[in-house]
Amino acid sequence: MMRTTMNQARCSCASVKRSGGILLVALLFPLAAFAQVSVTATVDRPRIGFGESLSFTITVQGSQSTPSPAIPKVDGLVFAGPAVNTSMSIVNGVMSQSVGLAYQVTPTRTGEFVIPAIEVKLGDNAYRTEPIKIVVEKGAPQTDLSQKVAVRIQTASQQVYLGQTASLNVLVFARADVPLKGFAGFNHEADGLGYKYDPNVKSGTHVEGGVSYNVFIIEGVISPTRTGKLNFGPCVVKGQLAAERRSRSGDLFERFFGRVEVSEVPFTMDAVPIEVLPLPGEGRPADFSGAVGEWKLDVTAKPGDVNVGDPITLTIKVSGNGNIDLVPAPKLTGLDEFKTYDPTTKTTKNELNSAGERVIQQVLVPKSAGVKRLPDVRLSYFDPVAKQYKTAAHPPLQVNVKPGAGGQAAIVSGGGRVRPEEKLGHDIVYVKGAPGPIALVFPPVAFWLFNATPVVALLGALAWKRRVDRLRGDIAYARRSRAARNARKQLVAASDCQQVQHALQAYLGDRLNIPASGITASVAGERGLPGAVREIFEACDAARFAGASADVASLKQQVEQVIDELENADR
Amino acid sequence: MNWKTLIVNLLIALPVLANDFKTANALYDAGRFAEAASAYERLTPKSAGVYFNLGNAWFRQDKLGLAILNYERAQRLAPRDPDILANLKFAQQRLGVVEINQPPQPLRRFWANAVRSRTLVEWSWIEIVTLWLALLAVAGCIWLPKWRTGFIIAAVAVACVWVTATVALIDRVSSPPEAIVLVAKSEARSAPLPLATVLFNLTEGARVAIREDRGEWLFVERADGKQGWVNRAAVAGV
Repeated sequence: MMRTTMNQARCSCASVKRSGGILLVALLFPLAAFAQVSVTATVDRPRIGFGESLSFTITVQGSQSTPSPAIPKVDGLVFAGPAVNTSMSIVNGVMSQSVGLAYQVTPTRTGEFVIPAIEVKLGDNAYRTEPIKIVVEKGAPQTDLSQKVAVRIQTASQQVYLGQTASLNVLVFARADVPLKGFAGFNHEADGLGYKYDPNVKSGTHVEGGVSYNVFIIEGVISPTRTGKLNFGPCVVKGQLAAERRSRSGDLFERFFGRVEVSEVPFTMDAVPIEVLPLPGEGRPADFSGAVGEWKLDVTAKPGDVNVGDPITLTIKVSGNGNIDLVPAPKLTGLDEFKTYDPTTKTTKNELNSAGERVIQQVLVPKSAGVKRLPDVRLSYFDPVAKQYKTAAHPPLQVNVKPGAGGQAAIVSGGGRVRPEEKLGHDIVYVKGAPGPIALVFPPVAFWLFNATPVVALLGALAWKRRVDRLRGDIAYARRSRAARNARKQLVAASDCQQVQHALQAYLGDRLNIPASGITASVAGERGLPGAVREIFEACDAARFAGASADVASLKQQVEQVIDELENADR
Repeated sequence: MNWKTLIVNLLIALPVLANDFKTANALYDAGRFAEAASAYERLTPKSAGVYFNLGNAWFRQDKLGLAILNYERAQRLAPRDPDILANLKFAQQRLGVVEINQPPQPLRRFWANAVRSRTLVEWSWIEIVTLWLALLAVAGCIWLPKWRTGFIIAAVAVACVWVTATVALIDRVSSPPEAIVLVAKSEARSAPLPLATVLFNLTEGARVAIREDRGEWLFVERADGKQGWVNRAAVAGV
């Protein structure tokens, strides 16, 4: 009953998410009309104070329209309404629809009343609701939360076996009018029961005695670690209750919307006895090693066609419900014909450790040709549902083991034989006759030298290219860059004042990027050249045109000094 | 030891090595595997052939962990030697550690195998040669503009190889030292203490990377990324 109600609640949630699909399905509505129709009646609270009203709702599942039923007269109660509310939802392609008729019921006196069964006609069929009893008291009704909220446990049985993993859910029933918004904590005592629970609380609804409840489910499992009469509980579930409080401040916003406050309220449950039974001695297999639950075996082997000495990987998968940690590696019988190594194991399980899977990989190396089948795999366990021991066995897998090279069975064990003829895949390759390469180290200095050389060379070449390109494209730069070198050459060859003067003119012409012949003592003065230039020009002119004596060596030295001075000034 | 001393020592040691190597091989041929193993152990300098034959000697004594250790050492010196690869794989198959020693991710597995396929010196030469070629191609682009397109394609192609070689070189130099598990079964624990929680088991022949050394305990990482502390006596460095 509760599970059905929870499913309906999920349907409602799904309907919100899939509202876009409702239009499409609405076209198919006539096909689904009147399929699995049910009619129920509920009240929001069965006990009210005189002067208050309660809500009485008739819900028709499986239909989207219904005529208003005739409400019989009840002495002392006044019915107003109905307000009609329809809904439709689709889950996994299955459509469900309902219509609710809500009446406001106001008592005219105190006492106990019964809202009788109400007949609802849908087409040719008539459906009846269950009668509902309500109590109208003087003044305020009993609003003790303990009467509105109850904590219960849900378990398949209160008798479990040692090592068994059994579900044990804690259910919190809260009447629909209790504004329970969530939970802030869950404290419990479960000594010896190995209790684990899922902190994600599930929710649903439940109707009992015409009263609607919200149900909150804490899913958990117990896995007892000792026998005897143990207790689950007491438990305390801290609920979060929302209460709306009107603000008395002058804030218009708060006065209009009010303010919701959340308070924590503990709900308690008394201890519930759980009897943990020891595993029965009767019928216990000799190879039983403590596995409890429902387990199945799946065995595979690869490859199935091998030579002697080749490894075969046997993969054993144990899966099922129960505590996988208690499940040992299955027994292998008939291992004499194989060389074995330690198996590798991989275990996966769910969060509550109530179900799991263990994969064991065992390497088997056949010792001789003629081996036809792999070892038997068996796992004995106790099934707590059937209350008996069971053995899961897998029929032995067939293999084809061929002899090694030369048609002879190879010896797998390490020592004792020299085999001058060895083959890949059957045995190791024989020893080498030469030592082979030794460990060489690349000297770090050589490594960095080899790396740096091309980089430096490329950068140098790029710089050189840039200079050449500039010399070709920039005449002023080209003349200036070779001015001093050319002038010095001319100076070396000069033997009289005229040649010295030409050398100086050539230098200054190249340097200033003007024709050399146009440079005179006056131009030198205009261009701001050192005074020595003017003096050299005047001395040369005097010697050439006035026949004055001149010391050519001294003039050369002065020109050199001028060149040096101007070149240094550039730097 | 500087470079010159090393060369001189090698010139003296190599003839001696070749002579002793033959002696050890004779012991192996005679089926005296324990003595052959001792003889191979004494040989210096160790070459790929010495490690390979030593691995065979241990294999014949059914000490597969030691055999794998020496095959791995031989592979470091001659990474593409088919005999070494065959015996290493064969021994790993015997112990069921072929998969455990490989990273589970396909890309990481491919890269690890690619890096292993060359020695450190070979990666160094590849890096140097491709750098020279790439820079020559760049120079060609600049000074021979007629064939610029061809030089650009060549430069990009060679640069890709250079980047690969450089990353492989860095990976090889910076990766932690590796070790092989020698005992049939050892346990990796959560702390360097004998009673610490067992995190996972290490089987004989498994390859681990040594992340930290604390004397008696080593913090190791398996190829699948699992990490734990293992007793030093259970492993030997490659």
